[in-house]
Amino acid sequence: MVDQEKFDISESIPHHRLRSLWKIMRGYRKTYIIATISLGVAAAARSGTYLLLGRFTDRLLAPANIKESILGIVLGFLGLALIQGTFTFLSGKLAAETSESITRRLRNFLFNHIQHLSFAYHDRTNTGELIQRTTSDVDALRRFFADQAIGAGRILMLFVVNFTVLLTLQTKLALLSVAVVPITITLSILFFKRISDAYEEYQDQEAVLSTTLQENLSGVRVVKAFARQDFEKKKFDRENWIKFLKGKNLLTMHSLYWPVSDILTGGQMLAGFYLGAQMAIQGVVSTGTYIAYAGMLIWIIWPIRNMGRLIVQMSSGLVSFERILKVIREKREPLSQGDYLPPDGKIEGDILFDQVSFAYESNETVLKNISFHAKPGQIIALLGSTGSGKSTLVNLLPRFYDYTEGKLLLDGVDIKRYPRRFLRRHIGLVEQEPFLFSRTIRENITYGVERNVPDRELIAACKASAVHEVITQFSEGYETLVGERGVTLSGGQKQRVAIARTLLKNPKILILDDATSSVDVETEAEIHLALENLMVNRTTFIIAHRIQSLMQADIILVLDQGMIIQKGTHEDLLSKPGKYQEIFNIQAKIDDALQKELTPSTYQT
Amino acid sequence: MTELTRFEEEEFTGSFNAETLLRILAQVKPHWLWVLGFLLTISIVSGLDSYFTFLSKRIIDEGIGTGSFTLLRKIILQYGLLIIFQAVNVFGFIYLAGVLGERVRYDLRQKLFNHIQNLSLSYFNETPVGWIMSRVTSDTERVAQLVTWGFLDITWGVINILTAAYFMFSINWRLASIVFTIIPILIVIAALFKKRIIGEYRKVRKINSQITGAYNENITGVRVAKAFSREQQNMEEFQELTDEMYHAGYRAAWLSALFLPAVLLVSSLALGSVIWYGGLQVEVGLMTVGGIQAFISYITFMIWPVQDLARVYAEMQRSIASAERIFSLLDSEPDIQDALQAQEPSSLEGDIVFENVDFYYQEDDPVLKGFNLSVEEGETIALVGPTGGGKTTIVNLLARFFEPRRGKILIGGIDYTQISMHALQSRIGMVLQTPHLFSGTIEENIHYGKLNATPAEIRQAASLAGADHFISALEHGYQTQVGEGGNLLSVGQKQLISLARALLRKPDIFIMDEATSSVDTLTESHIQKGMENLIEGRTSFVIAHRLSTIKKADRIMFIRQGSIAEMGSHQELIKMKGEYYRLYTQQFRKELAKTFDTPDLMGMGVE
Repeated sequence: MVDQEKFDISESIPHHRLRSLWKIMRGYRKTYIIATISLGVAAAARSGTYLLLGRFTDRLLAPANIKESILGIVLGFLGLALIQGTFTFLSGKLAAETSESITRRLRNFLFNHIQHLSFAYHDRTNTGELIQRTTSDVDALRRFFADQAIGAGRILMLFVVNFTVLLTLQTKLALLSVAVVPITITLSILFFKRISDAYEEYQDQEAVLSTTLQENLSGVRVVKAFARQDFEKKKFDRENWIKFLKGKNLLTMHSLYWPVSDILTGGQMLAGFYLGAQMAIQGVVSTGTYIAYAGMLIWIIWPIRNMGRLIVQMSSGLVSFERILKVIREKREPLSQGDYLPPDGKIEGDILFDQVSFAYESNETVLKNISFHAKPGQIIALLGSTGSGKSTLVNLLPRFYDYTEGKLLLDGVDIKRYPRRFLRRHIGLVEQEPFLFSRTIRENITYGVERNVPDRELIAACKASAVHEVITQFSEGYETLVGERGVTLSGGQKQRVAIARTLLKNPKILILDDATSSVDVETEAEIHLALENLMVNRTTFIIAHRIQSLMQADIILVLDQGMIIQKGTHEDLLSKPGKYQEIFNIQAKIDDALQKELTPSTYQT
Repeated sequence: MTELTRFEEEEFTGSFNAETLLRILAQVKPHWLWVLGFLLTISIVSGLDSYFTFLSKRIIDEGIGTGSFTLLRKIILQYGLLIIFQAVNVFGFIYLAGVLGERVRYDLRQKLFNHIQNLSLSYFNETPVGWIMSRVTSDTERVAQLVTWGFLDITWGVINILTAAYFMFSINWRLASIVFTIIPILIVIAALFKKRIIGEYRKVRKINSQITGAYNENITGVRVAKAFSREQQNMEEFQELTDEMYHAGYRAAWLSALFLPAVLLVSSLALGSVIWYGGLQVEVGLMTVGGIQAFISYITFMIWPVQDLARVYAEMQRSIASAERIFSLLDSEPDIQDALQAQEPSSLEGDIVFENVDFYYQEDDPVLKGFNLSVEEGETIALVGPTGGGKTTIVNLLARFFEPRRGKILIGGIDYTQISMHALQSRIGMVLQTPHLFSGTIEENIHYGKLNATPAEIRQAASLAGADHFISALEHGYQTQVGEGGNLLSVGQKQLISLARALLRKPDIFIMDEATSSVDTLTESHIQKGMENLIEGRTSFVIAHRLSTIKKADRIMFIRQGSIAEMGSHQELIKMKGEYYRLYTQQFRKELAKTFDTPDLMGMGVE
């Protein structure tokens, strides 16, 4: 067995999928080959049984010619059964070892691979699709190794071994006995090709039916409010009936294939019996030979009927594999690549954007000529509409994306020279809709801290984030599970847990990406307090919509379509005509309106 | 926690319940001819399989043994004809059992679906969607499997063993008695193995769903993992899971791999005794060579029905558990049913009165207590107040999704439980906070409001709702597919369509739960206009979040802890400087703050 840590599946994966398949079998090829050979041994033992049976018959009919005793034959029989059993088991066990090991390695690889793929990859990839690749496609590959390839190998081995033995028994008979085999194989491949299409249609309709049901259940209030029960019943009935028809079609195909192949195979078998028996009567072969022949004949022709099924399944297994390969071939983002680390392992937080531009690989420019200088500990606020490039700008700092033009320096050194992992350890990010994991609250907060966090420190972080009170109200406290199986946290609570998580990380650079927008008015004040605690002594980037949250910033950047259209402090910008002033004036107007709205009524009292 | 465990996927208990079995049989009763058909054909197939072995013996004994070509040809001819007859029966059982299975699936699903439509909302509040889904999908599947392939496998196995026994006993009863002692041993071995193997596979499935969950988090949370450089640790945790999976999967697989050889070895003991004892019998002329050959074939192929019976038994247990769950759903009765002589008025006129209404979802947790309210025909009521205060409950009671636990609701002076649900609900128009659309086109979705509406009426409703604007701008207009649950549209667009849907209905009473999620300003103003058109001239209840809506209401009710804390017009309530005043000023600031990000105010084009 190879050390699975050291085997990198993605390294030089060949373009051809069959060669890739061979490649990912590394370390288990021998095992798998032994598994297949074992099947051959088992098949040979089975043939041996029939040969022995033939000799036994001849001994009974003409005792003079055969020397073996009946007891010897019985023992031989048992011995062969033992060999057959042992090798059948061995092949099953080895095939299981191969398929399970390869899938385990592949699962681990894909998991790790996915978390090393770039932001850009995840931006353009659908989550559901990626999950399909990693689960059902991997399982299809597992079945390829565990059932299909080995099953086809078994049929092949049975055929080869029995046929070879037959050839040595009686060449003519042997050749005549396999006359229909090519027809059977062709028929079965054609049939299963069609069946697999029909089956797919059937499954698709099953999905349609589930969707109809699910929509009905999640829209139950609409159905009831519109008293549309009968309409819904009819709708479901229509889809249900289509599924019935598709199922019927599928079954009709099955009910035609099997009898036809039965007649074909049965006819062949019977022809073999007839010819064999004739030869036996004529004395060309002995009765014993006939019995051995008849026994083996069954094992040559009946299994062939399943060959088509296995071939079709294998080809769809290969399609799954091809899809997995596509993910494997994606390039990873090198986390530790970089030639510079500050001598003391710390950063100051001095950030210089000099004519920085960023474009996706598709050449779509997102940021253009961004220039500003953030000194350590300063607060930089970003204002702009959705799609103006605010989030992309801050995502350049932890190198989630790499800038494409200009110069971006951290503490005077090109940011691309720092290893990504180092940067990310020193940059904290609180997102608009923070993602929490289905773990306990404690695990969520200590996420990303590689040391053991003492309770004291944990509670301090939570107090600073104004979330300690909330957590202690849960019956399990910090051990409460978050998510479907545990408590559902409100937007504001999630937000504060995320702040605590970042606080524990103690980053030198802090990014607050719209961190308070999904929070109701009451908790907003509390979060602001938490955020202020967080910002002390850190270079902070704030993306926000409310002027109140921006006013204190050292630099305010107003962005539009990837460019900075205004830059300065609140006072600066307010005194100059421009977007900032416009926005501020609208705010003032609305404030006036509220006053007007409220004042007359109070006067009337 | 009890709620959660109640709906956890129950593992099958395996107790055979005669009553359940009878009820399952009742499901296929209408198709009894089909059942009879496949049972008959499979019996023939199974019996013929045994007879074929016997024919092979005759080829040896009567054909080769006597050396007569005529006799050989006669047997071969008989064999050939039977193969064709067999094929006809094979066609018969696959077709009959297969199509019947589809039919039973269809029947059961339709029955369940129809029943679900009649259940009350309380049922859906208590029951997870996934639970109901798996009743309708996988459980019906299992029951259909049982009554077709399950019964078929049993019949095949039993007939096969019986006919084989018949031929063996008729060939040589002494030898047959020896052989048949191993059958119980085989069955016990098979049952033990299957139990273990099924247990292992259950473990595999469980770990597998954990792995899927881990992937899901890994992918959806990838940005956080990157931001916190958690890759290494995540990987280590995941490896624990895949290791577990490896061990469980490997174990299950090798146990399965051991099963057949084990059965094989036991049966080869029987084979050994056949050769030993049979050989002696041949020598003294009590048995033929063909007879021994037949015995060997019978024993070799007897492994299949035996191991099949063990599998079928295990599956039967699961199917019966499935059937029990299906029946439990079918047996649940709707809480709210029409009175015996319910009225069917064609319109709902007059005032709406809540009289001393009590309501709770859980008995110890009252939502409304002694709630009184009188609303004049045509009046618009805005309901405001904190979440959980009872606003939604009030409109749910009005729509008779729930009924008062105590007290009465009168519409036009009549207790509304005396009006049929259909009559009531078809005169109420509802727009929900999270608008729900069905997959299909926009037109089909609006159509939902009035099934016989003409395209012109649909257009008119859409333009009244303020939806025509954006629909016409779409490439496929009214024929645009909205996607599953309407997901291809934005929340605002969905809301516009659900407004049009309600407008098309021309309801007497209008209920709206305003969306809280943000919608762009343009859509927002369209929604406002559509809503005004709906409210116009109708008794309306609006759970309101936006100031403009609140201000336009005839009366505002501040609902808190199940009762009306403040009630009056906007001006009156502002003057009170109470809870409404606080809510209003807060909301005002919030809406104000939002305007900063609106693209048109920023002077930047909409993306």
